[in-house]
Amino acid sequence: MNARLPLVLLLAALAGIPGCRSHGKALPSDPLRKAYDVEPDWNDPQRIIPLNYQQAQGKRLFYDRCVWCHADSTPAGPSNRNNLTPAPSLMNDGAKLNGLSDEYLQNLIALGGSALGKSAMMPPAGRDLTQDEIRAIIAFTRAIAQPPYAAPARPGPQYSTK
Amino acid sequence: MAPEEMGKTSRRMRFWFALVSVVFVGVLAVSPVKDLRQEWKQYKRSYVRLAQARPDTKRLLADYRADLDQIWIPEMNVVDRCVVCHQGITQPTLADASVPQPFRAHPPIPHQVKDWGCVVCHRGQGPATEAAEAHETTLAWEQPLLPGRFLQASCGSCHRNNLPETPKLNRGRRLLAEFNCVGCHRLQDMDRPVMLGPDLTNVGTKVSREWLYKWLKEPRPVVDSSGNVTVNGYETEEQPRMPQFRLNEKELRGLSAYLSSLRSKPVPPFQFSARVVAAWEKRPDVVEQGEVRFRQMFCSTCHSLAVTRAGETKLIGGEIGPELTKVGSKVNQDWLIAWLRNPQAYLPHSTMPRYEWSEEDLYKVAAYITSKLSDSDLLSSVPKLDPPVLEEIQYGRRVFSEKGCASCHAILGVTAQKEFGPDLSGLGAKNVSQLEFGQSKIPRDLISYVQAKITDPNSVNPAARMPQYHLKPSDLDAITTALLSMTGAPATSGMERLTVPRTQAEYRSAGAFGEVYERYKCYVCHRFNGYGGDLAPDLSFEGSRAQRQWLIDFLKNPQTLRPTLILRMPQFNMSDREASILADYISMVLQNPTVNLSSVDSKQFTPELASKGKQLYEVKYQCQSCHTIGSGGGYVGPNLNNVGNWMTPAWIEAWLKNPRALVPGTIEPRRAFTDDEIKALTAYLLTLRQSRSAPGRAAEGEGAGR
Repeated sequence: MNARLPLVLLLAALAGIPGCRSHGKALPSDPLRKAYDVEPDWNDPQRIIPLNYQQAQGKRLFYDRCVWCHADSTPAGPSNRNNLTPAPSLMNDGAKLNGLSDEYLQNLIALGGSALGKSAMMPPAGRDLTQDEIRAIIAFTRAIAQPPYAAPARPGPQYSTK
Repeated sequence: MAPEEMGKTSRRMRFWFALVSVVFVGVLAVSPVKDLRQEWKQYKRSYVRLAQARPDTKRLLADYRADLDQIWIPEMNVVDRCVVCHQGITQPTLADASVPQPFRAHPPIPHQVKDWGCVVCHRGQGPATEAAEAHETTLAWEQPLLPGRFLQASCGSCHRNNLPETPKLNRGRRLLAEFNCVGCHRLQDMDRPVMLGPDLTNVGTKVSREWLYKWLKEPRPVVDSSGNVTVNGYETEEQPRMPQFRLNEKELRGLSAYLSSLRSKPVPPFQFSARVVAAWEKRPDVVEQGEVRFRQMFCSTCHSLAVTRAGETKLIGGEIGPELTKVGSKVNQDWLIAWLRNPQAYLPHSTMPRYEWSEEDLYKVAAYITSKLSDSDLLSSVPKLDPPVLEEIQYGRRVFSEKGCASCHAILGVTAQKEFGPDLSGLGAKNVSQLEFGQSKIPRDLISYVQAKITDPNSVNPAARMPQYHLKPSDLDAITTALLSMTGAPATSGMERLTVPRTQAEYRSAGAFGEVYERYKCYVCHRFNGYGGDLAPDLSFEGSRAQRQWLIDFLKNPQTLRPTLILRMPQFNMSDREASILADYISMVLQNPTVNLSSVDSKQFTPELASKGKQLYEVKYQCQSCHTIGSGGGYVGPNLNNVGNWMTPAWIEAWLKNPRALVPGTIEPRRAFTDDEIKALTAYLLTLRQSRSAPGRAAEGEGAGR
């Protein structure tokens, strides 16, 4: 009897998978998912966001590595987001991400959550991705942010008074 | 002539001379003014104003010259004056979208603008110094600027191998191969495969004349009013490969008559043993049982079926084989059973594996396919067709070769016309004057031409033999990108040196392994020895990764390792002997030289070490965010319930050190584990074992269809 318990639990967990999809806003299952230089707005699939080269590279990397936890639906269907506590940010969550600087996000992606006092479930990507690749992912995030992201009025440190 | 008259003439002359001189000086004065007002000089001046208004003026003007700038790449025959106006292109501080064009910086790319210039990727006229001439086609210039959405075509002109950074180009190349464009056209870097469309030598034994008529009239893809492609009335992501030929009633009757008369090798009906028929004939659940078996064998990994979910019907399943929703109304039952038993007997080059069937399974699955995957209305729109007469057959045969059917479909005794369609291997470098637009009403540029040719060939040439393709806009752009990348032989020797050639590996194995490999068509999905598909994991180093016994168990009863995967390994029902031949080959040959299986002493993995590893797994590194153990954890990575039986200790250690060194594309992050932590994690993972009979079944119910 005891040996069966995990099995039953696993079945129950799997049975829940289809249900996961109804939470939150599902990614649109439209043909543009396969177009690499545009991304439909996650909240409003009718609105198509054009991407420049860097953002498009970010989209590619995002759909390879990040989408599994940072979106409510993935190319494979269910998202891993619901398995995690605290739940990872949605990649288009402007309300949360717009306030974080590029440098902060760069560190977060490169060093992982535990290095910055966040959830250790976010693994570091700094040994797999180059700085440019991480910048591309951030550029993609900024492109799809809702509410839209506006770069800081006075651009970053290169203008700081010495 | 009188002197006073002389004086009069010379005065008049002087007056005219003075006037002409003034005009001449005036004309001379125009040209410096005109020169000063040249378009590019105005851009130069406004760049200086822009730079002066910004805090980092000094840096922005460090390389500034009032003259023409140019990037000259003699070995590529490129003179590039784009930087005359695009002054800020390499200035990172001008990257912001608020910087007006033409001064904005270029987004970061793998190549340096200084070394490559602009036209190598963007096309357009490098030497031109006026915006209109540089960007567009005029009579004097050849290449218009390439619209941004086709830009990856330029990557492909030199990088003939697929790059991860060019997904659109890669998809386009894949579509060109899938739609068998090489059947009629010559394409750069694409060889003609052995089989394009199915061999039709015996098609009369497979389908009826009525079905052929319907298929030829409207091959399944149809675009509905919102632009979605549907197959058999169901929305789909992938279009079937057979395009639409515009055939008239006479041609349809002729072709269907001709094809249905092709029965050179009749199918002997398979005789089920009396025991099986008696056991299953009267059972009411034979169809349901067949469906269960169909799902268990994961036919949907290669074949899609219409599935209704949440009120929406869609085709779901793989794209390797044809869609099967209504196949029961298409094929003759005797043919179906013979096909399932041995596909290669009918089509020698078919990539369908030859499954090992039990008679019961074959009976059930055939019953399921013929009764459930069918539609009695499928052929209701077909007019009544009488048995074919000789005249129709002869006419059909002529149509078959005139329409170019033979370019993709072989028929014994019918030779295909060589080079049926035009050579497209240099299409991407063609200029407008080389294209035949005729009387058509499409814009006079290469991209409009290519796209019109694919989607509606008659709009370019009413007599075109080219069939019609129904593509989603994104796929149309991908295929256009791939065609534009085919710029033919490198124009200069410098270009030739730069070109990264496309590697095309062909691998055929011999011996006992080769026989099993060919039978189950491992290479359709898996890649190893440098050859094979990319649907399933790359097995190049599988022998270093998996334990031999696990391989045998898996081959005999493939289980789900990754819960998020949609397509699963089919159940081949292979024999013990075949499974061990494959496992032996994998263990012996598919090794990674850096993973030394004998270097790890398993005695060092003590229970204490394992419990330390468990701590690391659960607390410090929180691996459970992606991996499942027991009933908890994420489903991004594979389930680790049985990893102790599955993976070799040496592989686990090497993997934890640097996953990408073993599997280049993996998304497993490379962590900064210490050697002690790696030992501890390995010790913990090796304790995770399941008994051999239990695993996997749990997932089957959920995953069976998909």
